[in-house]
This record gives sequence, structure tokens and C-alpha cells, in this order.
Amino acid sequence: MAQTRTIKGKVTSAEDNQSLPGVNVLVTGTTKGTVTDVEGAYSLDLQTGETAISFSFIGYKTQTIEVSARTTIDVVLQVDAEILDEVVVVGYGVQKKSDLTGAISSVKESDITRIPSFNAAQSLQGKVAGVQVFNSSGQPGALPIIRVRGVGTFNNSSPIYVVDGVILDDISFLNAADIQSMEVLKDASSTAIFGSRGANGVIIVTTKLGKAGQEKTVVSVSSEYSVQQVGKTIDLLNGKDFGAITNEILPNTYNNLSALPNTDWQKLIFRNAPIQNYQISISGASPKSQFYFGVGYFNQQGIIPKSSYERITLKFNNTYTLSKSVKLGNNITLAPFQQQVAPDVVYSAYRAQPLRVPYYNDGTFGAVPNVGNPLAQLAYSNNFNKGLRLVGNVFADVTFLKDFLFHSSFGADLQFNKSNDFTPAYTVFNPDGTPNQQQNLLSSLGKGSSNSSTWIWENTVTFNKQIGDHRINILGGYTMQETSNEFLNIRGSNIIRDLPELRYLNNPLYFYDPTSNPVVNNLASINNGVDANLYYSLISYLFRVNYTLKDKYLFTASFRRDGSTKFSKANRFGNFPSVAVGWNTMNEKFMQDVKFLTNLKVRASWGAIGNEKINYLKQYSLVTANGATSPVFGKGNNLNSGATFDVSGNPNLIWETTYQTDIGLEVGFLNNRLTGEFDYFNKQTKDILVPLRTQGYFGNGNGALITVNAGTVLNRGFEFNVAWQDEVKGVKYRIAFLGNTLHNEVLAVGGTKGIDSTLVGGFLGSGQPATLSRVGLPIGSFYGFKTNGVFQNDAELKAYPHDSNAGVGDLRIVDVNKDGKITDADRTYIGSPIPTFIYGFNFQVGWKGIELTTDFQGQYGNQILNGKEIVRPDPYNFEKHVINRWTGEGTSATEPRASFGGYNYSISDRFIQSGAYIRLRSLTLAYSLPTAWLQKVTLKNVKIYVRGTNLFTKSSFTGYSPDFGSGDVLSNNIDNGTYPVAKVYSVGLNVTF
Amino acid sequence: MRNFRKNTFKNTSRFVLLALFISVGCQDFLDKKPQGQLLQASFPVSASDALLVDNAAYASLRNWYFHSGGYPILDIMSDDARKGSSPADQLNTIGPYDNFTINTKQDGLDRWWSAAYQSIRSANVVIKYVPTITMSDSMKNQYLAEAKFLRGLVYFDLVRAWGGIPLVTTPDPPLGLGNATADEIYAQIIEDLNFAVAHLPKQSAYSPSNLGRATQGAANAYLAKAYLFRKDYVNAEKYALEVINSGQYSLEPNFNNANGLAGNFGVESIFEIGALPNDGNENGGDQYANTQGIRGSPNRGWGFNRPSINLIDSFEPNDPRKDATVIFLGEVLDGVPTVGDATCPDTTKVNGVIIEIECYNQKIWVPGNSISSEWGHHRRLMRYADVLLMEAEASNQNEKTAQALIYLNKIRLRARGGNLAILPDITETNQGLLRDIILNERRHELAMEGHRFWDLVRTGKAAEVLSPLGYTSRYDLLPIPQTQLDLSQGRLKQNTGWNN
Repeated sequence: MAQTRTIKGKVTSAEDNQSLPGVNVLVTGTTKGTVTDVEGAYSLDLQTGETAISFSFIGYKTQTIEVSARTTIDVVLQVDAEILDEVVVVGYGVQKKSDLTGAISSVKESDITRIPSFNAAQSLQGKVAGVQVFNSSGQPGALPIIRVRGVGTFNNSSPIYVVDGVILDDISFLNAADIQSMEVLKDASSTAIFGSRGANGVIIVTTKLGKAGQEKTVVSVSSEYSVQQVGKTIDLLNGKDFGAITNEILPNTYNNLSALPNTDWQKLIFRNAPIQNYQISISGASPKSQFYFGVGYFNQQGIIPKSSYERITLKFNNTYTLSKSVKLGNNITLAPFQQQVAPDVVYSAYRAQPLRVPYYNDGTFGAVPNVGNPLAQLAYSNNFNKGLRLVGNVFADVTFLKDFLFHSSFGADLQFNKSNDFTPAYTVFNPDGTPNQQQNLLSSLGKGSSNSSTWIWENTVTFNKQIGDHRINILGGYTMQETSNEFLNIRGSNIIRDLPELRYLNNPLYFYDPTSNPVVNNLASINNGVDANLYYSLISYLFRVNYTLKDKYLFTASFRRDGSTKFSKANRFGNFPSVAVGWNTMNEKFMQDVKFLTNLKVRASWGAIGNEKINYLKQYSLVTANGATSPVFGKGNNLNSGATFDVSGNPNLIWETTYQTDIGLEVGFLNNRLTGEFDYFNKQTKDILVPLRTQGYFGNGNGALITVNAGTVLNRGFEFNVAWQDEVKGVKYRIAFLGNTLHNEVLAVGGTKGIDSTLVGGFLGSGQPATLSRVGLPIGSFYGFKTNGVFQNDAELKAYPHDSNAGVGDLRIVDVNKDGKITDADRTYIGSPIPTFIYGFNFQVGWKGIELTTDFQGQYGNQILNGKEIVRPDPYNFEKHVINRWTGEGTSATEPRASFGGYNYSISDRFIQSGAYIRLRSLTLAYSLPTAWLQKVTLKNVKIYVRGTNLFTKSSFTGYSPDFGSGDVLSNNIDNGTYPVAKVYSVGLNVTF
Repeated sequence: MRNFRKNTFKNTSRFVLLALFISVGCQDFLDKKPQGQLLQASFPVSASDALLVDNAAYASLRNWYFHSGGYPILDIMSDDARKGSSPADQLNTIGPYDNFTINTKQDGLDRWWSAAYQSIRSANVVIKYVPTITMSDSMKNQYLAEAKFLRGLVYFDLVRAWGGIPLVTTPDPPLGLGNATADEIYAQIIEDLNFAVAHLPKQSAYSPSNLGRATQGAANAYLAKAYLFRKDYVNAEKYALEVINSGQYSLEPNFNNANGLAGNFGVESIFEIGALPNDGNENGGDQYANTQGIRGSPNRGWGFNRPSINLIDSFEPNDPRKDATVIFLGEVLDGVPTVGDATCPDTTKVNGVIIEIECYNQKIWVPGNSISSEWGHHRRLMRYADVLLMEAEASNQNEKTAQALIYLNKIRLRARGGNLAILPDITETNQGLLRDIILNERRHELAMEGHRFWDLVRTGKAAEVLSPLGYTSRYDLLPIPQTQLDLSQGRLKQNTGWNN
């Protein structure tokens, strides 16, 4: 008689000590088995002769255990470092990592929440090889700028985001805690399925959902409080030194230097400011449904007063299984936000002379000539944006004919934004009581509203089948998208009182202005229209086949055909194909004996991907009607309306197309304790839209530009991501090093000579262009004079070609074209804003609930132009290096004699600084309370942590923070007084029950 | 039931797919109209549209760059004027026109070229599309004649500045046009002006609110001038007399009003560019005078195009036109004494000889209390005095000396302002001597109005008069802007002497 005995136990994860539901428990050698429940518990009856059970779960190493005489067997499953069977989200589907032929990097939950930012894309910095993240500003709510594998166009070079199937341009409406994973699609094999929108990379964001089979509802509460401060300040002259140098330039300006005021303006504009971030989420599942509900509140005050960003996020994700073959679902985010934008006081504080007092003795603002008192600027600024964004989709999955899945998703992105800026009437007075230039005679109120809406309907059919050694996955689809918008901005002046409740433009209490005529109507301007970048429709047909033979040979081909309103009828459709192959060598017989190797996969892909982020009006020839087209006739001098043809459009425009080749190698050694992923990529973007001059006789007017598909840009580089992880005596650790090299080069601009062979940009406050892009240089290269010293004496001045404005003590400009004269033709390449090497270094160690995580990140090979130092039409404060100025022969070979501007402040390599830096991006020390304690109070997990962000930066840059930049690729890395990115200290508490 | 459901889903999904791929894929979805924009394809189509395009053709003349790229370089290139402003201001951009050291990339050349063709395009829009509009033939012809007049006017500038340039007679010219010959350009100008003469009303036929539109008189005056430049003196005389005998025009009794505010659209004005006293072309203003206005105190502008010592000294004794042409320091205008600008030396000497004094062009002076007032200056492109002098010159060439003296002395009579002690009538009957006298009278009557340089070139006097300033014969035509040569991919040929 067969004897039956029952084995019970619990399965937990070694990673986080959490119970593991859904683990397959199988009697070895049979098909008999069970699955663990939500608590990770199982119970299994064994017959005689059944001596072993195996535990397997996706993402974990399978364990087989001899039962012997035990009746309770608790198992701790180790995470399978061999991520081969990890499932990776790809465009319009998921794929086993081992079957992937494309270059895709995943960033998981725990990494995403590690940066205290409103924008989850910030977490990609230093985490994904090939991705650069920088900031246009430290202003709360300012969007980070993301570049995937370099800068592929002169135009919008930002990737697209796909959030639960909805294609978007940014994800600032998402709470990082609601995100399950982010996948960065980099090569053509993975991005070509996004066709005309994939060229700058694709970031797929998957939000959370209760796990199938997880019947117990999990509630998670987390809170984090942070304090931010400016990381460093700029070394500027103090009052005494500034006075001394002024006396040198304008003798006898000040006669008692030590009695001069000494105001540190930087100190006055920066403050310590908090970030609060709280969220509650509830997730769970029933046999027929899964759900996730999250509420988040984020509030960041800026390190400059009058700047802040506050957001509430509501997240609802659900699926409902209607029948065996039909599943419905939704992913919806609702995010109201409010932002206050600070005036540009960073630049003012940089320029303001230290000799000026912030306040007079009577408490009124002190005048700061030529610049304005930064504190008054702040005091009178009231600049708010607020809005509501709703992003989501509803979808249906229908399984039919066993192997087919029809997926239809209707998504929408609705944005409602309002702006409100008010400047009261005010005057700052000079010490002598006369009004300073810093004044606003009439109060001014601007109101703006804009809304945009996108709907996107995606329909795909997937066929998925394993037939013997052949695994086939075929995807076909059809999608439609429409985006439209409208804005209305109105501005008026002269509101009767500076009260928030009176800030409306139909205010009947128009103020009687005693200085001029009575103001009857305070409405100054109305501007109503459409943002042409956000007004288009798109139709797409997509197709992809993945074929895997014997788990060894991988093949992928994809094709997308996009039709867009942004191009004329004849050029409306573009085709974007890709092909890729892969080889999992470990599944070859001859590799079975190579014990030290766990994984060795090679893959290669090629494809064409488009960029359609252009203004749809460029194709059209429009009519212009305005004051400039209206003549003045008659004795009474009447302006008569006129209208005529505007600059011609270009109906021949087509998509910019990126041709990308990628060769990748994935390796794992020593049971995947050491893993590596290496890619070589070569991206060539052709038909880049470039604004070119047309021949004058076309009559488009002086300087008129027509957009033409004329540019070509190359980005090539090498990516690596190497990690070592192990556990030694209960101490688990992981070290990862990742990064990429980048070679960026313009291969064509348009014309081969003259004005159309270059693109200028980077216009400084003075209007001078500081960058030039032309064949052979990186995009947005800095362009100016090269200097090689300071003229020490008259003899030297005479010996060298020099500008007529140059004298002894001034910079020696190099006669680059060797024509014996210093002219504009001697300007040359003096630096590039694009790093040649970007890297991240991550280290994690954990022991009994204590975990230390450090993330370093940096870049190398780029330069920064200190634009704020160059533009000085008036006597501004100086950076401290001016102290070492030339004061006579032999005193300095680098720092010219003191001057308030002019010759020595032409754009030159003197203002070029290294953009290289390494930064301790994040340091976290966390402690998870022992599970044993928690069970007593029915808590699942309690974690407390302290964290520092941007704690330490090593950089020779004299400005605030070297990780700034501009979204305009022709104006990047020019420091015009950028709002700095802060250093942040946080404490946090996460509780799960 | 289960099967039914399954089949339903199967069928549904098939239908859904079919529907998606076929019906929704209709192209309408991708046909979006530009929002808030009118397409050229649907403009101009009505009589009111015709008026709008016609008006816009005039407005293009107010573009700052229409005035030889923004600065009055033609006067600066003549013996009448210096660069002006402070010594360093635009030294390398405008300065080279003063001392004849320009190059093919000289600032302003390309702006002027592009702005002139922009004007031509706006005229070509009228000429191409108005004939297709349903409206009265008389209005059609009037608009066409206005546009052809304007096109002729601009080509006349272009051909005098550059000679053989691309000839464009449609708003959508083909790619790759090369140089036409100067003869071809002149033929087009004369054809256009003849059409204008045939279809334009006389000045008196316009209502007061339409003064400023092209007239038959203006077209005749420009025909006279075009023939003068072609040295066809018979036709020059003929068309000048058409203007004179039309009875539409006379000289302003007060010389100041010939260019001044009070003479706007006045009896002497044959064609002028209307403008409002507002900063900004888009606000109806014209920056031509602001470019030349008094620097310092009162502040009315930038002070370019400074009357030269040579011009000042060349006036006949007590010629009132000297004072009416030059604003000297200390001169009280509009109740304000002219103090000048600290950055401009009151006198500039070389080797003890005064070569420049701080002074300004009074022809562009507009009374008012701000810079904006200067933006309201109406630049006179053709005034009756010019026609009288053209007639005198042509008659003299045609050996009708007596007739020449009649018109020449009308100019002197007005200039005299009733003071019989000055500017006696000319009685010279020697054709050669009289030719020089007339040229000299043109210099003083039309000084600082953009005529002198071209007058010297067309009369062959440029070498004699301008060589000391650096002129060489290649300056008879300006270099075609290097940018245009580059953009033409070699199809445009550079003018003689400029291939450097």
C-alpha cells in the first residue's frame, strides 16, 4: 500500500525575504505538483518513492531538495543572476531576454525611486549605457534632457516615451513610485517598430499592477523628506577687491576700499529648501482581476525663493478577465500640478557689484546699477503655471484560435495648462533718490491657457507558437494618432491694487494712471493660436517577426509604415525596416563543457528609423499679413492693410532617417556572477531638416530660411555594462560599471561653401553666436578665438598680428588663418558640448537588512562655455581669477589686464572650461526591520533610510553644476547663469502591510 | 453558447481588423489644414485680395533693407558724404563704402539684393494672380500697372547697382537662374513702365487718401530717368516733358518742404514712400531717416551719411540749400539746439586740414520730440525738381540749350527763395559747359538724396571726381554678394573686377 505523507512549507525570496506566491513546486521526475499561495505556502502529498521536490519560479534559480524524513521544508529561492529568462518589455509586446536581438537596457523599480525628483527620467542618469541625462535648469519642474546614443539631429533630439502603450514626449506626470520598470530601446532592431518616432531612442515605461495570483492586498506607504542646498557657489570678487580693480580701470573711483560695502549676492538668493514626497499604493488581484491604485504627493521648493513645483498623482491600473479569451483593462494617471517659476536672479547675482547694498537703512531695496537688485527681482515676481494632465488607456485583449492575441488599446493624453504672471508697479531708487532703471511703472498681468489633446488607437494581432525547435512570434498592427492644441495668451497692465484676488483682466477697477492719460482699457495684447509642433495626425502599419531556432539562433525583422500630416501628400508615408540576428552560443553542444562561461550571446542589427519631430507648417507656403506688409498712403498717413506671400514652404520635405547598425555581445561568467554587455553602434542620420538660405532672387527676403532635408550626422560609439555580484557569508554585494564612448560628427549641413555650409547657434545675451556646426565638427561646437598668452610689452605687441583694440596686457589672439591680421576669420573650433565618454559606477552591499547603495556618474571630453562671463556691456562683478590679472610685464601670461568688457571678452578659448566631472549621484543607507519583529504587528516590511543626492562632484568647472545643458542642440553647454541643480539630503520610511 | 461566443469574437476581431485597415485608413485623416494660416494656394482670389497684394507690394519699399541694405551707401560712396556716426561705429561694415575698400562679402550688399527681390516678388504676386481674379478690367489694369511700376522701380535700382542680374517676372521662378544682361533688365523696366503709363491714373485722379500710389506721372518720370541712364536723350526729354506738361506737379515754394514733413504727398512729390512716426517697420515706420538722424542731443538717430566738407564747400555763395541740406552743430531745429554727440569729434583734421566736421543730413529731418518721429520720414524717390533737371540735361544733350536753361533756371529760382542777390540765372549756352553746370545743379538740389554716385557714374565723371577717394572703375557696378554666388552653385557670374 502506497504511503502518503504531506510536506508543507513556505517559499521566500532571498532578495528581500518576501514570501513568493506562484512558485511551481514539482515532485521530481513526475508532472505532479502545486503552486505556492499568496503567503508563499504550499502543501504537497508525496507517495513512496517520491523523494525530491523542485521549486521553480521565473527570475529565480530552481532548487531541488531531497525530502528525506522532513515534513516541513521552507525554501529560500535565490534570485537567478542569470537574467536570461527575464522578460523584457519591447515595443508592442514582451520578449524573453534570451530571445532578444536588440539593445535594450532595463531600469528596475528600486533604481527608479532613488532620485528625489518629480521626473523619473532623472533616474536613468548613470544607470544606462548610452544614455546621457542633463538639466536645462534646477528650477523645480524643469524637464530633464535625455540623449540616447548621442545627438542625432540638429532639431529635437529627445527620445519618446511609451507609457503603458501611449506614446508621449515626457513623463513628468508620473510618480516614480508607480513605475514598475523602464526599458530604454537603443538600437534599430528595438526602435524601428516605432518607425518615424524611434530615431532618438524609445523609453518604455511600465507602471505597476497587482500580481496575478496575489490574492492578498498589499498596502504600501512611503514618505520621504529632503532638504536641498546649493552645491557650491561661484568664486566672485568681494567689495574690496572689486573696488581695487575698478580703481585700476577707472582711477580714483573709490578712495577708501575698506569702507566699501561687501554684499555676497549669491548668499542672499539661495536658501535651503525642502522636498516632500509621500505616497500610498494598494495593489492586489483576484482570480479575475488585478489592480493597482496609487496616490502620490510631491512638493519641491526651489533653492531660490519663489520657485516650486507641487504635484498630486492618482494612478489607477486594472485588468478584468471577462472570459477565458477576453481581458479588459485600463491604465490611468491623473496629475494636477502647480509650479512657480523664479526670475533669472542667478545671472543677476553673478553680475551685481558687491559694492551695492541689498537694502538701504530704511529697509527699501538698494539699487544695483545695470543689473537690478536680485532681491527686488524676487520680491516682485509672481509667475505661476498650473495644470492638469490626464494620461491613460483602456484596452481589450482577445485570444482567438489558440495562438492569436488581438490587442486593442485606446489611449489619450489630455493636458490643460494655465499660466499667471503678475508684476506690481514698483520703483527701486538710487542712493540719491532718483528712480533706478529697475522699475515697473504700471503693474502688468499676463494670463495664458493652453490645452492639448492626443488620442491614440492601437490595434495589434500577435501570433505566438512553439513548434518543436521553432519559436515564432509574429506581430501585425495598425495604429492611429491625432494631436491637437490651442493656446490663448492675454496681457494687460495697470491693475488697481497688488492683491491676488484682483488679478483678472476684466477687472473693472482699471487704475487711473496719474502720470499719463487715464487708462481705460488695460488689455495690451492677445495671442491666440496653435503650436504647430503639436498639431498632427499619424497612421501606422506595423509588422514584426521573431523567430528562434533551438533556443540558439535568433532572427527578428520589423517594418513600420507611417503616414503623417507633417509632410505633403506625396511624401506622407515613410517606411522603416529593421533586421537583426542573434546567437545564443551556450546552447551549442560544443559550449556545454566551458564551465566558467554561463552566457555568451552575440547579436547584430540594422535598421532605418525616423524622426518626425518637426513643425508641420514647414511644408506650406503661407500668406503673411501684418504691419510690415501694410503701406502708408494719403495726406492723413493711413496704414492700409496689405498681404502677400510669406517665405515659401518646402512641400518636398521628408522624414529625417537614422540608419543604425549595432553589434552586441552578452557574456556571463562563473554562474553569472560576472556579467557583461557590450555594444558597438553606428548611427547615421540623413535628410536632417536644416534651415537653409535660398537664392535671393526667389524673393523670400533678407536672411529668409527654407527648411530642407540636407544634413547628415554620425554618432558612433562603444557601450559596456559590466557587473559583478556575489554573496559572501551573508554579505551580498554588487558592483557595476557602465558607460559609452561617443563620436559625434556632422557629415553634411547643406551647402558646401558659404553661408549654407554652417549652422550657427548658441546666441549669447549680446546676440553673438557662440556655436558653429559644420562638416567635420561635433554638433553645436564652440567657435571663437584661440589665445596664447598676454602681450607683455610693446615689442611683443608689435611682433604679433593684433586687433586694433589690443594693447599691452591684453590677450594675444592666434592668427589662425595666418594672413597677418586678426579678424573674424581667425575664429575657429574651441570646444565641443558633447561628451566623448559617459559613465556610471554603482556599488551595492547588503547584510541582514542593512543596505548601502552608491551610484557614481560622470562624463568626460566635453567643454562648457562660460557665457555669463563674456557678455558685459556694463561694469559687472568679476570671477575671482581676475585677481591674478596682468599688471605689468611678467605678472601674468593667462589673465589679461583688468577691463570691464570689450576686447578681452570676445568669445575665445579663455571662456572654455572642461565639462568633465564625476559625481556621487546617490548614496543610500537603508535598514529593513527584521521580518520576525514585523510579523507580530502584521507588517510585511518596514524600511528606513537616509540618502544623499549629488553629495559630491569633482569638476574643474567654475560654475554651479557641470551637468546642465540645453535642449537646443545648437546651444548646448553654454552657461548663461543657469539655475543650479541642488545637493539633497533625504530621510525616508517605507512601510508595507 | 460558448461556441457562439468564441465565433463571435473570432468574427468580431476579423471585422475589426478589416474595418481598421480599410475604412479608417482613408486619407482624410491625414489631410489637416494649417490652423490660423492662409495658404498661398488659396490667395489672392477676390477683388479685395487683389487690393491686399497690391498694397503689400508698396509696403515692401518701407523695408529698411530696401534702402541699399539699410544704410545710404550710395551717398557715402559719392563725394557728398562720409560714413558718419562715431569714428568706430560700423567702421568695418559701412566704412569700406566710404573709402572704396569693400569686398564681395561686404555688409549690406546681400541685404539690399534680397530685399529688392522681395519687393519684386510682391509685385510679381500681383502680376501673376490678379489677371485670374474676377473683377473689373479697369481695376485689374490699375493693380497690374501699379505692380509693374513698382517692379520697374526696383529693377532700376538693381540694374544700376549690379548690372546684369537674374530677371524674375513670376513669384515662383525656376531654380538655377543665371545673370540676364543689363539690356534685358532695362527692356523689362521700360516695358513695365510703359504699361504703367498706359494704365495708371494721374495724380489728381486719386482721392487724398490714396496719395502715394503710383501715378502716370511717376511712370513717365522713371521712363525719363531710365532713358537718361541709357543715354537715350530723345526719349528722356520726351518723357520728362510728359511729366512737366501734365500740369500735375510744381516745385514747393519752400525748398525745405521738398523733402520735409509739410511736403509729404505734396505738389513736388512724384513718388515717395509713406511711413508713420512709429518705431518698427511692422508699426508703419521706416528706419531710413533714423539711420541718419542726429546723434547725441537731440537724439534722433545713428548719424550715418554725414555731409562731406567737399559738399559743404561746393555750394555757391549763400545758396540757401546748403543750410537746408546740412544740420550744423549749434543749429536750432524744432526749438532744440543741436549739441551733437560726445563720441563724434566736432572736427576731424588730418595734417592740420579739416576733413570732417560733425554735422548731419537735414534732408531726412522730421520735427518731433522723439526718435520715433524720424521713423515717419517719407523718403522722396522722385520729385519734380529731378524731372526738371533731367529735362534740362536731356534737352542740352539734344542741343536745345534754350529749353534746357528754362528748366534749369526754374530750379535756381526756387532755390533763391526770392533773394535776388544769390544764385543768378544760368545763361551758358556751350553744351559741354552747360552739361557740367546741370550736373553741379543736380548735386546741390538733390544732395544726400541718393543720386550723386550714380549721376557721376552715368556721366563718366566718377573717375575724375571720386578717384581721390579710392574709386576705381570696377565700382561702376557693385560686386554681386558672395552669398548669392555661393548659393547659385556657380550659375551667377561676378561683375568685372570683383573676382577676388
